[in-house]
Amino acid sequence: MKRFVYINDDEASKELCCDNRISNRKYTLWNFLPKNLWEQFSRFMNQYFLLIACLQLWSLITPVNPASTWGPLIFIFAVSASKEAWDDYHRYLSDKKANEKEVWIVKQGIKKHIQAQDIQVGNIVWLRENDEVPCDLVLLGTSDPQGVCYVETAALDGETDLKTRVIPSACVGIDLELLHKMKGVIECPIPDKDIRRFDANMRLFPPFIDNDVCSLTIKNTLLQSCYLRNTEWACGVSVYTGNQTKLGMSRGIAEPKLTAMDAMIDKLTGAIFVFQIVVVMVLGVAGNVWKDTEARKQWYVQYPEEAPWYELLVIPLRFELLCSIMIPISIKVSLDLVKGLYAKFIEWDVEMIDQETGTASYAANTAISEDLGQVEYILTDKTGTLTDNKMIFRRCCIGGIFYGNENGDALKDAQLLNAITSGSTDVIRFLTVMAICNTVIPVQSKAGDIVYKAQSQDEDALVIAAAKLHMVFVGKNANLLEIRFNGSIIRYEVLEILEFTSDRKRMSVVVKDCQNGKIILLSKGADEAILPYACAGQQTRTIGDAVEHYSQLGLRTLCLAWRELEENEYLEWSVKFKEASSLLVDREWRIAEVCQRLEHDLYILGVTAIEDRLQDGVPETIETLRKAGINFWMLTGDKQNTAIQIALSCNFISPEPKGQLLMIDGKTKEDVSRSLERVLLTMRITASEPKDVAFVIDGWALEIALKHHHKDFVELAILSRTAICCRVTPSQKAQLVEILKSCDYRTLAIGDGGNDVRMIQQADIGVGISGREGLQAARAADYSIGRFRFLKRLILVHGRYSYNRTAFLSQYSFYKSLLICFIQILRFWNQSFQFG
Amino acid sequence: MMEVEGSMNRAPDQSSFLRSRRSKALYQFKQQKLPACKPVLTPISVITVFMLMGFVFIPIGLITLRASRDAIEIIDRYDVECIPEEYRTNKLSYITDSSIPKNCTRYLKVQKYMKAPIFIYYQLDNYYQNHRRYVKSRSDQQLLHGLEYSHTSSCEPEESSNGLPIVPCGLIAWSMFNDTFTFSRERTKLKVSRNNIAWKSDREQKFGKNVYPVNFQNGTLIGGAKLDPKIPLSDQEDFIVWMRAAALLSFRKLYGRIEEDLEPGSVVEVNLMNNYNTYSFSGQKKLILSTSNWLGGRNDFLGITYLVVGSSSIVISIIFMLLHLKNPRPYGDNSWNKKSLAS
Repeated sequence: MKRFVYINDDEASKELCCDNRISNRKYTLWNFLPKNLWEQFSRFMNQYFLLIACLQLWSLITPVNPASTWGPLIFIFAVSASKEAWDDYHRYLSDKKANEKEVWIVKQGIKKHIQAQDIQVGNIVWLRENDEVPCDLVLLGTSDPQGVCYVETAALDGETDLKTRVIPSACVGIDLELLHKMKGVIECPIPDKDIRRFDANMRLFPPFIDNDVCSLTIKNTLLQSCYLRNTEWACGVSVYTGNQTKLGMSRGIAEPKLTAMDAMIDKLTGAIFVFQIVVVMVLGVAGNVWKDTEARKQWYVQYPEEAPWYELLVIPLRFELLCSIMIPISIKVSLDLVKGLYAKFIEWDVEMIDQETGTASYAANTAISEDLGQVEYILTDKTGTLTDNKMIFRRCCIGGIFYGNENGDALKDAQLLNAITSGSTDVIRFLTVMAICNTVIPVQSKAGDIVYKAQSQDEDALVIAAAKLHMVFVGKNANLLEIRFNGSIIRYEVLEILEFTSDRKRMSVVVKDCQNGKIILLSKGADEAILPYACAGQQTRTIGDAVEHYSQLGLRTLCLAWRELEENEYLEWSVKFKEASSLLVDREWRIAEVCQRLEHDLYILGVTAIEDRLQDGVPETIETLRKAGINFWMLTGDKQNTAIQIALSCNFISPEPKGQLLMIDGKTKEDVSRSLERVLLTMRITASEPKDVAFVIDGWALEIALKHHHKDFVELAILSRTAICCRVTPSQKAQLVEILKSCDYRTLAIGDGGNDVRMIQQADIGVGISGREGLQAARAADYSIGRFRFLKRLILVHGRYSYNRTAFLSQYSFYKSLLICFIQILRFWNQSFQFG
Repeated sequence: MMEVEGSMNRAPDQSSFLRSRRSKALYQFKQQKLPACKPVLTPISVITVFMLMGFVFIPIGLITLRASRDAIEIIDRYDVECIPEEYRTNKLSYITDSSIPKNCTRYLKVQKYMKAPIFIYYQLDNYYQNHRRYVKSRSDQQLLHGLEYSHTSSCEPEESSNGLPIVPCGLIAWSMFNDTFTFSRERTKLKVSRNNIAWKSDREQKFGKNVYPVNFQNGTLIGGAKLDPKIPLSDQEDFIVWMRAAALLSFRKLYGRIEEDLEPGSVVEVNLMNNYNTYSFSGQKKLILSTSNWLGGRNDFLGITYLVVGSSSIVISIIFMLLHLKNPRPYGDNSWNKKSLAS
């Protein structure tokens, strides 16, 4: 399915759906009451209370004033309804604010000022610096002569860094005045919620350019709710509007999570209801029998001889009403109130405020606090969760020489500094790759310093380290990079960027050296993504050893590589690359394939080692929580060695001989199967011993294990208290949570980055660390905390308190109601059913 | 728990919180550090509490039981004895036939000295004055305002007869107890007071001074007693006593007071009219003479309850003590818990 958007053509775009009115509202003024009541009455408890209240209206059977049930019932409904109404009203207000925001658009060649809600698909929208983007746009022009602009996408994906957006190649060089009169067609997919993909094509109509199809990617778009930064103006054509934008489509109310306690209360209510029916039947039958045998003899009661048809029902229904208090009407309201208070206690807690940033903890989901006290498994991310995610360049190995091994800091290693001043080729190339093989944007601050805006912390660390080693990345002007090395300026022109994806595990840039016109491929990536592509003659043994050595120290490693390209090799390849980039289907996969064709015969320059420090109090927190009987799994995208190293340093696993690590690896089905079998056997044997046994599995083996040996893996999951899963993808993280949940364990997932969101949403309790990788995880989570060590207090203090209090409250509610009811039942027996 | 207390001084901007008492209390609430105490149920304290309960409750029980035993009661069931031999097989025909004289004489022997005032009660057993149909069948407004008040639908099925409203209406009034008793000793009449037997509040607040019985017991079905249409309801104390419906199916109602002391060995002769029909539902009628003391009439229940609770407390405390001596556990020892956790 495709959508055709005609630029600047009202007639053609008219039938293309809605205007740009955003609506997040659940209700309207008219359907609020019926819809809300319908929702509330879909709960069994509420239906039950309504039935009782209706029965009480029949004065023949009611023993009490109907107000005694109607009052609380109406109160409960009013409270829930007004909470809903309040939330919805706020949604309405924020919608209204967004809808009535004034924007500039172009209509029939004239600039007009209209409200955001009146934007039609195909309109050209103008934005100025720091404006919010009102709908999904395809960029047509910017103030920058190269057609670049910067956006902040924090509201969309939580990443706070600036992202570059460029105009499509077809629009380059179009005059400002002509932009108003632009005509063309954009062929784009029907609205979806993938904020990382936009596979479309654009064709401009004459007189602009001949009928050349130009491919569009997410790089050519401005998505709704982003902000335009560092760019004077930008304009674009709207392709998705209103609730059909990427943001609008990805909105949605998450399924409410139910706690174990809620499920228990529901079950209990059902059981009590059945018991109540039994009591009512027994008493009702006995009452009818008594009435017919005894009560007719009581002359002073004057029982009528004739009885209406419903006579037999009267006594059972009266008993039903008398027993109706068995199910306490107050429990829902009381629980909601106290749960709200638990959440507040978490937010108020001064000991859970991150002193560094001043962020307090936040409970987004107020309903599940007591599950915190029931956690059996904690699945934790590594980077940014256990560690600080403050990357610092520590060591490197260039051409087989280790730098920074003596004092632990390569930046102060005299040997390296000497090598730089003496101008060793390898070292300079190495530094060049560090400085420019990235997507970092240098921003000149007012004081004259250069601040780097990077998407990944590793790139940030590398660029900063390069700058300290006299290779300063000074400026980026469209495709032109400027580097200052030892006082001289070196310019490079970026030809292509072969982006990083989690599958490729490497990224490369193709640059042209402006001094001598050579075209160079610069690559950096994980060892296993780079080393296999080394050029034939090179010995990768030392590099492999260096990687091994560094990961044992708990450092993150990246391999840097370099290759000079022949002019025609590049040109040939670039055609294919362009072709792949303009595909509508399977673009990502095709691009990866094409990239592969260029990234071979690499000359490996060396290895960088970056330190990622442990957060404060992580080992203590893990140890305390383990003493409380909670099991830990570490799920990380990082390398196996690094993961194990971090695990050792934070008490996650114990070193030999107290602990034992069992590896599950293998590349083929048979290997994995054998390995899994062996580990399972060891686990079963050592299950009774007081020994810390943990298994380690990587993403590849995990994939196979889950696919072919699901049952064995589940057994392994039950047996092992600790596990390290490295190299896992976001969806595998979610799968692991799902496995533990299917074994009836209460799981808590904690993470900080976008790759943890799925696991956080999947787990019974999701905890986000409002850290450096943006707020995405914190936003999706039920609780967000500033530091990992607050988890101890969250679980052991707040979780325990909440669980105990809710348990007491609900037990007491039921106890009280049953007690009152039993007094009545006993009296019926004692009085031989006089309620005739 | 330790952590909760230990961290007070680490709070960063604590000083700003502690400006006044009130904000300090708020701070303590928010940090869940409000002072609180919770009794710790150690074996020693539990044993002591049970022991103390026993020592307090047993004397109270003995005193109460003694007081209850001091009150003297004479109970006489007369519903069977007062039916002549020839009607014993068909009691219903005797009681419903108004041509047969219903008078009957009973002799009550006084065993112990009874001091005036001696309360006279009649007791009905297996009588459902708490039946739903019965309890609801009255109109309090009509009892207070008489004919002026006409919304008497609650009085069904005794709301009106022959097309005219009944005052007082309803089943309770209609079924009023109508046995009468006179008391004499050695041929001389005993001084019996029949006043002041209803609650003062009932007489003054709930029954009208200007409300006279109208059209009462005039229907085809005659229930119980008739009322003198010349006396206002507020003065008809037997009626007021009856209108206070009993909660249980066996109840006593006050009939009057004997204002003389009775010597041991003396015999009280009771002349009674056995009018009221309890035979159709096998109810029982009893006449009771009772003295009272500071605890009220004779009732052993409270005393026995105190004794049972007190003695079981002592038994429990002794059992606990033996258990504690056999398996002592130091305070704070949770080794038993660890064992269960490990398994």
